[in-house]
Order: sequence, then structure tokens, then C-alpha cells
Amino acid sequence: MAERYDLVIVGGGPAGQAAALALEGNGLAIGVIDEQLRPGGQILRQPPREFSVASWMTGKVYAPLLKQLRQFEAATGIDWLGGRSVLGLAPDAGHGFALTVSGRDGVETIRASRVLLATGCQDLAVPLPGWTLPGVYTAGGIQAFVKSQQIVPGNRIVMAGTHPLQLLIAAQIVASGGTVAAVLFAQKRRTMMRQLAGHALKAAREASALLPAGAAMALLQRHRVPVRYGESPVAILGKDRVESLRSTEREIACDAIGLCYGFVPQSALPRMAGADMIAGSRAGGWSTECDAWFRTSVAGLYAAGETTGVAGAAAARTAGTIAGTGIAIDFGLVSEEEATSRVSHARSERARHLEFADLLDTIADPSGHFPRIEAETIVCRCEDVPSATITPLLDGRSANAVKLASRCGMGLCQGRNCEPTLLRLLAGSGRTDEDNGFTARFPARPVMLGDLAAPK
Amino acid sequence: MQNADVLIVGGGLVGCATAWHLARGGAQVVLVEAGDIGMGASGQNAGSLHFQLERRFLENGEALAEQAAQTAALNRLAIDDWRRLETELGADLHVVMDGGLMVAETAEQVAILERKVARENAQGINTRLLDGDEARTLAPCLSPGILAAGFLADEGHADARSVTRAFAQAAAASGASLHSRSPVTSASRIERHFEIGFRESTVRAERLVLACGAWTPILCAKLNLHMPLYPVALQMNATERTGPRIGHLIQHVGRRLSMKQTDAGNILIGGGWPARLASDPRGAFDPAGKPVLIPASLAGNLRAAIDTAPFVETLNLIRTWTGVTAISADQLPIVGEVPSMPGCWVAGGGSAFTLGPTFARLMAQAMVGTPTPELDIVSPARFEHLNSFMG
Repeated sequence: MAERYDLVIVGGGPAGQAAALALEGNGLAIGVIDEQLRPGGQILRQPPREFSVASWMTGKVYAPLLKQLRQFEAATGIDWLGGRSVLGLAPDAGHGFALTVSGRDGVETIRASRVLLATGCQDLAVPLPGWTLPGVYTAGGIQAFVKSQQIVPGNRIVMAGTHPLQLLIAAQIVASGGTVAAVLFAQKRRTMMRQLAGHALKAAREASALLPAGAAMALLQRHRVPVRYGESPVAILGKDRVESLRSTEREIACDAIGLCYGFVPQSALPRMAGADMIAGSRAGGWSTECDAWFRTSVAGLYAAGETTGVAGAAAARTAGTIAGTGIAIDFGLVSEEEATSRVSHARSERARHLEFADLLDTIADPSGHFPRIEAETIVCRCEDVPSATITPLLDGRSANAVKLASRCGMGLCQGRNCEPTLLRLLAGSGRTDEDNGFTARFPARPVMLGDLAAPK
Repeated sequence: MQNADVLIVGGGLVGCATAWHLARGGAQVVLVEAGDIGMGASGQNAGSLHFQLERRFLENGEALAEQAAQTAALNRLAIDDWRRLETELGADLHVVMDGGLMVAETAEQVAILERKVARENAQGINTRLLDGDEARTLAPCLSPGILAAGFLADEGHADARSVTRAFAQAAAASGASLHSRSPVTSASRIERHFEIGFRESTVRAERLVLACGAWTPILCAKLNLHMPLYPVALQMNATERTGPRIGHLIQHVGRRLSMKQTDAGNILIGGGWPARLASDPRGAFDPAGKPVLIPASLAGNLRAAIDTAPFVETLNLIRTWTGVTAISADQLPIVGEVPSMPGCWVAGGGSAFTLGPTFARLMAQAMVGTPTPELDIVSPARFEHLNSFMG
């Protein structure tokens, strides 16, 4: 690992890989940091090297991503800095950025002239009565278990939410030998079909993206997994862990639940660095605002992939290519004209992916389908703050002021789980002026004091 | 145009507490706050109740240390004020006054500590000098490297998150009119009155209290007054929650350090380590901008904490935050009526958490004519020469 890089890319998923590959061979010192030991991102979360997994990620939709991953792994001249978390990102005295990074060997400072954030997205955390019981997962959490460890974290799993991805995850669970008790969509099937039909042209052009959903449905049918529409979770029941889910229609016995209401961009680092943000998807959250070359409002700082808006892995890959090429312009390695022609294919591909992403976003829209929060329902699970503590504070004050008064958002996760919920509550309370959410604070991940302290 | 007896600018601890005292006494009080109540330095400070002489007063020569010792009368009042506060406000503010230790690690620091204790005792502050073992018996979390400690039984800490809100609620209940998210848009002195504009209203009052931290000199400038208060950006740190380990306020006589454990179990670590103040496009300091964390401050602060109480080394840091306060030209607070502009009161310049409730009570008393000699040492009169061509 170098102490100073020309470019540090945070995130080794499709966007980060594509950007690195777009810049490979230019003589730049490039480091790619990722929390996982191996590249791939959430979409291709790789099993540990010691594992031998037969037929890993064989779906046709993964093929181009797998091809890029193998290229990235084979590339020379790119430092892979896996197993490290970026805790902080700040302008370095005079020039570039300083990244505070924690890994197995403690905390290091890595300096870079330019930084590309390709940190992806995270599941939207959705509170409902009982959601903090052991056995409740986000859908993405379950998928990470299945993809990287071939573990199905439950004997009888219920998937519930609004996002069609839960069909794929349910199918992956079944294909791995697990049992799915039911898949519940809060929306009515009629509404989803109407939205799909309204976008028929687009959908036809993106048929390949819909195929996995079709194949997943077929597999679920073969295994007699009920897929129900217009049915929402009301409460999760159990003494010490999940025992059942009560929906608007029935009670379903289960020992694990995957909640799937959509995804929000990872926004801790761009916000810490002071980049301008815009409202994220229909699910909530914050996207990093960027120009056509994925430059953020902070000079030298770039963002690509789902950090700039949740649109899927294929779109993220095209964004990485464009961002990498844009960074080449800014390093003076290529003219804007040449760069423009280099990314024309990526741009048209990206436009197509974004159309599909918009369709998916419309279908998956969780607004209007969030489970009801009771007075005692926990909103901030790090600090155990129930909604009853927050409700009296919804008098027009800011999210930061609610945080200070209630501790909501003050815990280990720095509010990345509860912030979307709190902002929904604030909006629902009739607050009219825009709230920028919590002020981003160091460190993005908890870190031992001893690792940060000055040498004795 | 609305009339009020007193208009207060700043919804921090001093502003809200002053509003409460005045409103209780029957005055018509309007308070305006640019953001939300208690979200500035009042809500972001360490929550220390410190009555031993601060390290910053001990490392800048004898004269300053002697002058700072003169604030002992204020400290004695503040001790009583804090002991009464939860009862008076009917609120749980996590006030813990089980004592504070100011530790020394070197022979040189022990000597400073000895002089400090003597100076405090002469002013009626009953600090006791403990050797290292006595200090560790009292606070087993302390490192074997601690050679001595000044112990003052009245020190402690309170929950900075809730104190200002409690004052604000009490003020509102007593009839004060509090306006948050109401930045001052205009301020002028017309004959014997002040006219302050905010949102769509203008309020006319005979008395004006400027208690808005780093913004106080900016508000003073609107009235063509100098006030030598300078913005300062500081960093604070919180660990994850842990079981009860630190019962006291812990400070250091030779290093920047304050440590305490909150009611929830987090350990708060600060001590006056600087962050970088934001600047506006013209290059001037901008107290409204988010200060930038200085990694060396963080590393130094945590090292001081670990050297003092080694168990914190393996705890997780969950948050470092920055906040902006103000410091005066001579380091002492500035509290009182501006002689060249009768009716204009200011309160700011440090120690305003520990001494804030007392500043507020004394200002409210002084406004109704009760003598408050304890405030003389912090009066803005000492900077009156700066305003000889102003006003």
C-alpha cells in the first residue's frame, strides 16, 4: 500500500471496478478500498478464497459483471486494499484528501489527490412492531449470507415489503435448500401490472432484466411458495426471537423475516466531505449530486454508482466507466472530446438501464405502504428510542434537534438506519422547509480509541 | 410593532435561563433564536461542571491565574445554583456533583497543582490535594502514572442536551415568548429603545440581551458596537456505552482533557482541542459553517484520555463532533450591561455551561436593580475603550 495515491476509489463493486479499469495503464497510482476482503460489491459478494462453491452466481444477468470482476482481479497497477473501512474523509492540508482507514492492522491515513466514492447503497431499514427481535433481517442481509457464505439464516423465512428483488432473494433461498413460508407484497398485483404495462415498451427493451424475476417466480411456484399481493406485515411476534409474522391478513409461523422495502444510497462519506446532496429515491435517503462526469460539488471528489442514486449494478458499471474517463480528463490524460467518444457506448447503455431503474423504482415505491408504527415501536435501534419519545418533538424543529433531544441517531450506526424514518416522521408532521437530515460525523464506522490515539 | 420589556437574542442556556428568571419576575420577554433551541454551544459542549481553575488559566502566567481566581465568588454561587436546578426546573438533567479530579502526571504538573490548590483555598474553594494512590482509591479507573490530583467535591457534570431545553420549557411556562428558527434581520437603537426584526415581526424593547455565543459580536456590530469575542471551534468525542467506570469529572492540569461518563454510559472526552473554523467566501471566519475536524487534535485528545484512564483504550469511538463557542480577548467571560449603550446586555465568552445558570440569574437580578457585585469582574466595562468611538 502506498501512502499517497493519485486516485483512491472507495468501493470495489461494479462502479469502482469499472472506473479503475477505465484508468488502468495510464501510469496513475490507484488504490481501491473496500470493507470486504475480496472485490465484487454486494451484487457479487464473493465467498472467502478458502471456500469452494459450485455454480456461484450463474445467472445470465451476472455474466457481464462477472467478466468485469475477473478483469479487475487480473489488472496490474491497481492496489487492492480490501478488508478496510473508511472512517473519515477530509480535505488534506493544501492538496487532495486524507482518508482515515481502519483495517486489521489498525488505523492508517491514506492520502490521495482525487477520490472516487463508489460505496453503493444499503437496505432501507423499516421499523414495525417487533422488528428488533433476533431473526429479522433486511432482504439484502439475507442475500449476503446466501451469496458469500451459502448460509440460509433460518428454517422458515418470510419475505415482506414492496421491492420485487425479494422474489429473487426468495428464489436464491429456495435454490440453496431453504424454505420460504411466503413472499408478501404490500402493493396490489393489479397496480404493479398496470405500472409494468404502462412501461411496456421500456420493459420489452429490458426484457433480459425481467427474465430473472420470471425465472424466480417459476422456481417459487414449483416449490409452492405463496407469493401474495396487497398483504403487509403488521407486527413481528416472538418472545426472545421471531416466532411469527402477523400480516394484514393472517399470522404466519416463521423463524426469520427479510424486509424488502427498497434501497438508499450510502451517503456518510460524501456528506462528511461536505458534498452537495439531493433527495434520494422514492425510498428516501440522500444521493450525491454530480455533473455529467460524476464530479461532486467538492473539487477533486467524484461519486459513481448507487452512491449517486439507486439504479442497479448494470447502471453502476456504466457510471464507473464514465467517472473513470472523466477523472482521466481532470488528470489531463485525455481530451474531453476523446473522452466523450470513449464513453458514448456507456452513456447509451446507461440511459437504457436508468429507464428500467425508473420503472423498478415506480413499482417498488414503498411510500404509502410502510407498516404502522406504534407508540412503543423502536425507531432508533442503536439507542432504543421509541416513536413515543419522538412524536412530541415533531414541532417543526430539525432532524438534528430531534436527535439531540431524543438520542435518535446518536448510536453506533451514526443514524444511517433511523434517519430515513425520522425524516418521514418530520415530513408527516407538516414541516414545510427542507431538512438536510443529520450532520455527518466522524467516524463512519466505530473504531477503537487505541487505534486512533497518538503514539505514546 | 410588538412591545416587550426585554428582548433576548440567542436560545442557548444563558438566553433561555435569563428568559425564565425575567418571566418569573413578571417581565414581558421575547426570545429569538436563529436555529433551534439549545443547538449551539449550549447543546454541544462537554457538560462539565468545573470549579477548579482551568488549565488554560494556569499556563499563561501568574497575572491571568490570579485574575481567574477572582471568579471564585461566581463559582461558589454556581455550585449552589446547580445543586438546586433539577428541583427548581422539575426536570431530570442528570446533574451529578460527586466531585472532580484534576490530575497530574509529572513532578512539574504536581507543582502547578500545588500552587493552584493554594490559590483556590485562599478564595474559599475547598480543593484538596491527593497523592496518586489516594486519587486511585477514589477513582480506580485512573492510571498508575497519575502522581497527584486536585479533588473538589462540588464538581461534576450534567446533561448538556437537556439543560437548555428545560430552561426553555420553564421560560415558556412562565409566559416568555420563544421564537426558534427566527434569525435577526435587523437591529437598531432608537432613542431609549431597541427595535429587533425577525421573520415578519419587529419587537421594541427597552432592554436587549445578546447571548448568542460566537454570533454576539456580529449582533453587536449591527448596533455599531465592538465586542471582543472570537469564535472558537472545538472537538468532542463520545465512546460507545459501557458499564459504570467513571463517577467523577476528570480533568488534567497539564494536558487538554475532560472526561466523564453520561447517564446512558457513554464516556465523553474533550478538553478544548481545536477544530478548524469554517470560513466564508471572503476568507473571514464563518461561525455558521461546519468546522472541520483536525485529526491531530483527535489523536492527541484520545492519547491524553488513555494515559489518564487506560481502560478507555479498547472502547469504540462512535462520534467526534465539532461545535463553535466564543472566547473573549482576556479569556474571562463578558457578562453585563454595556456602559456606553445602556439597556444593552451581553453574555458570552466561555464557561457559560458551568456558570451559565448563575450569569442568567444575576443578570435578571441586576435588571431589576438588585446589586450583583459578583458580576463586576466579568463586566463588559473592561473593554469600554474599544467603544469610545462607537455606538
